[in-house]
Amino acid sequence: MALLMETKLILRKVKDLRCFTAKRNRVKEKWAATRPKYPPTRLALQHMDAVYGAQLGSLWPSVRVALLCERKYGALVNTHSHHDVISELQHHGCADFITSTALQESVQVEGESQSDLRTTSDVSPGLNANIKCFVFPQGDISRFKPARPDANGLLGYYLMDAASVLPCLALDVREGHTVLDLCAAPGGKALAFMQTHGLGFVCLNDSSVSRTMRLRRVLHSYIPKALLSDHRLRISSFDGTMWGQIERGTFDRVLVDVPCTTDRHSVTEEDNNIFSKSRVGERRRLPQLQTELLLAGLEAVCPGGEVLYSTCTLSQQQNQAVVEQAEQLALERHGIQIQVVSLKPLTRNFTNTFHFAPELSVGELVLPHLAANFGPIYMCKLKRLT
Amino acid sequence: METHCALLWTWNTPVHMMVNLKKSIRLLKRLCSSAADNIPQNQEPRVELSLRGLLDMGFTDTQAEHIYDTVGKSRGESTAKHTLSTLSALIVLGLNPSSVLKLLEKCPELYSIKEAQLQQRIANLRKLGLVEGSLQRVVAHHPQILTMKVKKINSTVMFLKEKCLFTSQQVTDILRDSPTIIQEDMAQIQYKFQYVYFRMGVKQAEMVKSRLFRFTLDEVRNRHCFLERRGLFETPDKKGQTTIVNPKLGSILNVDQDMFVTQVAKATLEEYDVFQRLIAREYQEEEHLTDFDSISDDDEAVEEEDRNKGKMGYMKRKKKLPHET
Repeated sequence: MALLMETKLILRKVKDLRCFTAKRNRVKEKWAATRPKYPPTRLALQHMDAVYGAQLGSLWPSVRVALLCERKYGALVNTHSHHDVISELQHHGCADFITSTALQESVQVEGESQSDLRTTSDVSPGLNANIKCFVFPQGDISRFKPARPDANGLLGYYLMDAASVLPCLALDVREGHTVLDLCAAPGGKALAFMQTHGLGFVCLNDSSVSRTMRLRRVLHSYIPKALLSDHRLRISSFDGTMWGQIERGTFDRVLVDVPCTTDRHSVTEEDNNIFSKSRVGERRRLPQLQTELLLAGLEAVCPGGEVLYSTCTLSQQQNQAVVEQAEQLALERHGIQIQVVSLKPLTRNFTNTFHFAPELSVGELVLPHLAANFGPIYMCKLKRLT
Repeated sequence: METHCALLWTWNTPVHMMVNLKKSIRLLKRLCSSAADNIPQNQEPRVELSLRGLLDMGFTDTQAEHIYDTVGKSRGESTAKHTLSTLSALIVLGLNPSSVLKLLEKCPELYSIKEAQLQQRIANLRKLGLVEGSLQRVVAHHPQILTMKVKKINSTVMFLKEKCLFTSQQVTDILRDSPTIIQEDMAQIQYKFQYVYFRMGVKQAEMVKSRLFRFTLDEVRNRHCFLERRGLFETPDKKGQTTIVNPKLGSILNVDQDMFVTQVAKATLEEYDVFQRLIAREYQEEEHLTDFDSISDDDEAVEEEDRNKGKMGYMKRKKKLPHET
């Protein structure tokens, strides 16, 4: 009878790949007429109220209102373009927040060199003169016009969160360096550090093929073809966590800008929201993924080289905890010794532009604030000693 | 002159005011028409405003002159006639001459209201519950209430009772505390009411107590949104519950901006200033977008890159991917 039949003889015909595709990527045949009762943005806010309310205390309401309001952009100047964007931007009232502080710094140093016992190593690492990012003044909510292409078809500037430029500055890429960006898409940070001329070799990777395509498009709009040739640049779509097995100790600088809960996106956009009920597992596994990516970065960098870990979330679990865990695991599993490099000398320069969280155990955190609605950005610099 | 003295006596004793209302007006007219003896023959004898008549009503010399000049400058004879009745009606209401003058300065339209209309409107207000004391106060603070047609006032009242479900007493309180409501258009009142009722979860009694209708929609919305986005105000769920204690509507609205920002929202003035500008822009664009909906979208891939290239940069922000740097 039917029960005695072996199950392997009862085959279910697989008609299409629908059952293998994740629910959120399927094409819907029927659309809901009403919004869900608990949309992901609401779940995200509830979660954050609980976690960040405790973490940030009285600072949380100001951060919360800033997250829910329109973000402020900065214009990353494309030095490869022939447009004179700088005077145009200055004409609109913007100022480059990086060079204006560098000027202040140099004035200060000159004044204090006699009375102060400061050594050159105390002065902030030579701020990369090539990275220029223009922003409107504090409290000014004007918007940037989209960039126009120049005679060669390259765009004059790239609009991104000005705080996202900080990890690139902290990475301190120099001439001749080989640089790896483990989670490069959509390419804003890569574009920033690629403003440095004379880089040895750049390797950009992202685990998603579609996002890598986007990364390519961005690069083609901003960087001349000559600099995108195969012996200068490699774009790949590997799983970043496997990097330790592909290339060890080969890079001078590694940027690990990990996937995170993207706080700002999660409280404002419903689409592709990691707080949606179907992605709970993915969200819970994030800290583990982030630790593995950072570990891979630490393996990929050469001894004496530097790794910069950055996220766009406020969560301690995804920031400090990941750094501390990776530090421990690197020692246990691979015998890699790391030293955390303080970014205080760098961030001290920008306290007029950004609001930094007070006293973190490790790393620096930019908090969104209505008058300076950048961030959230967390960054931490690690130097590989062995 | 006995009548003159009797008149003065009448003005000063409110008890007899109502009783002698018609008598007083007749007396006044007679007083003023006595001045008509001086007018030339070719003009029709008619009630005229005279300085002496004004002085008799209790105005000082300067006040009387001022009224006489203002009326003289404006629309002509009919105005003079109406002015007389208006002035007397206002004085009969119990307002002293200097208040009456202030009223007229605030609301020059009062000069040209017909007597019958004025009496009708005052009677209507009384019927709506604005009795002695409240009536004078409302008229003194917001004389425009007397320039509104009875129909308009009643339709607003009807709207508040039927659509917004305020009780009669509550409606009277609203008229007394926030008389400017009669000048607002119905759609605005409705929107404001619905915003506070549904979005803020505040019921009628609290609305009346906090004098909600004194404030513009923008003021209410801005302050509420600021608190909500800071996490200090929560829309109640179906059962009317919230996880936090919402501040009372009165404590949100009935304080000046500085107090509101620092004590209620516990923020800085700079933050609120930026917030107001940002949210004004948000509302502007929301209204704009509902017009734009009819424009068809291109395929998604083009839109994402538009942020850096295209004209609709900021408008199409909605379709961003995560990990935007």
